Amino acid sequence: MEQSTSGTVATPASRPDYDMDIVKKFFTATVVWGIVGMLVGVVIALQLAWRPANLGLPWTTFGRLRPLHTNAVVFAFGGNVVFTGIYHSMQRLLKTRMWNDTLSRIHFWGWQLIIVAAAVTLPLGLTQSKEYAELIWPIDVAITLVWVVFAVNFFATVAIRKVEHMYVAIWFYMSFVITIAVLHIVNSLVIPATLFRSYPIYAGLTDALVQWWYGHNAVGFFLTTPFLGLMYYYLPRAADRPVYSYRLSIIHFWALVFLYIWAGPHHLLYSALPDWAQTLGMVFSIMLIAPSWGGMLNGLLTLKGAWDRVRTDPILKFMVVAVSFYGMSTFEGPMMSIRAVNGLAHYTNWVIGHVHSGALGWVGMISFGMLYWMVQNIWNRPLAYPSWASHHFWLATIGIVIYTVAMWAAGLMEGLQWRALDDAGRLANPIFLDITHRLNPFLWLRVVGGSMYLVGAVMMGINFWKTIRGPSAPAGARVEGV
Amino acid sequence: MNPLLREAAASVQFGWLMGVMTLVFIACFLAWVWYAYTPKHRQMMEEAARLPFMDGGEN
Repeated sequence: MEQSTSGTVATPASRPDYDMDIVKKFFTATVVWGIVGMLVGVVIALQLAWRPANLGLPWTTFGRLRPLHTNAVVFAFGGNVVFTGIYHSMQRLLKTRMWNDTLSRIHFWGWQLIIVAAAVTLPLGLTQSKEYAELIWPIDVAITLVWVVFAVNFFATVAIRKVEHMYVAIWFYMSFVITIAVLHIVNSLVIPATLFRSYPIYAGLTDALVQWWYGHNAVGFFLTTPFLGLMYYYLPRAADRPVYSYRLSIIHFWALVFLYIWAGPHHLLYSALPDWAQTLGMVFSIMLIAPSWGGMLNGLLTLKGAWDRVRTDPILKFMVVAVSFYGMSTFEGPMMSIRAVNGLAHYTNWVIGHVHSGALGWVGMISFGMLYWMVQNIWNRPLAYPSWASHHFWLATIGIVIYTVAMWAAGLMEGLQWRALDDAGRLANPIFLDITHRLNPFLWLRVVGGSMYLVGAVMMGINFWKTIRGPSAPAGARVEGV
Repeated sequence: MNPLLREAAASVQFGWLMGVMTLVFIACFLAWVWYAYTPKHRQMMEEAARLPFMDGGEN
């Protein structure tokens, strides 16, 4: 075995006793919450296309289910998948078991309880009305406590590591742990009035700026940096070759975290926010293309010499499409943050299309790739239905394309019709509802694309269930962690 | 005073801050590039890239 940077020689005999149980717990939660979150997404897509799907009940209307969808897919699916990857890869990269098993379990059960609390309170209409931070203050306090437990365990594990150099994935994970704590606490500062109600300590424009500093960096540090950490560990593992340029990955990390934190004000273009702050957000957003594309190229070039395997290996297919979508959405985002483009795109379905090319394309696909790789390695057995993984890949990929293209078309149509003037300088479409009605074919296409994505995820869940309950690999074909 | 000029003057008040920040960021960027690409660290970088494969003989 090769010499590690710490000077220790890694042999199977010297492998620490990793905590695999916690990885399996988070893995299972990921699949369950992923399917639930995506199902709610399809339901609310249907509600927008076909109003009776709101069922006429307050608990099932779009306004209450939409935050349930976003919280479920971002914090329940996205959170659990990141925790799965972190607990699995950091123990290996640092060659040590997690510092404290009890803290790992408090983290797991605490996080699941928070998700259940969200699933109960949001349909009941209990919300603090901040996008991606809707949960009421008692749940916010619980999130903070559970996060501190996770952070203590995380950094204590880093402190007792047996490998001197911290691999780039660990740095991406660290940025996630630290930044999400800061974002969550600062954005959730409120004065409680009753158990269910509170008032933010910020008012007016300050409130808006704090909200979008939080909101955009939730995308940056919850849905981007930890997933890049996963990419830098699992893409090389799946491709069986080291990352193309480790040096570039270091530049990628530092440039990305330095720039991302300033980009929030691009959500407030043409608002009462001072012009210089709007421009600052716009400029930093455009600069983000550089590190983002550096990372994308680093991921794709890692496959140099392995492209023949991409044709047949569904895990690599998921990862290649994920990295490609990362590149596409990190180009689209900066473009949309340019004032003139934003004037057309803002408040239209284009934004929804952009978010989902990032969420379904990048976050979802890299997660699926990682999960398919993991289920075989952790449980030490081949997939029950290997061809289903390929079907899942095509359903998801075609589903995303239908979804995003429909939303781009809808957004451009809305944006152009809202601003269109007739020869006399009057609004060409003075009745807003007319334009909304014209969106309907696109909204139905979204239901189709989203349903395809959901069916793929359900197939994955069944495949995993059958795989885990199936026979293990023959002796001698040992895979990790068991 | 013309409102446009007043606005421009107000933004100049932050000009020195933006200038300093730009210099700090450029200095940081040059430091990362030096750290990553100096020949002194070449060996260390190549070893670090292999860390995901150093956990024993799985797969």
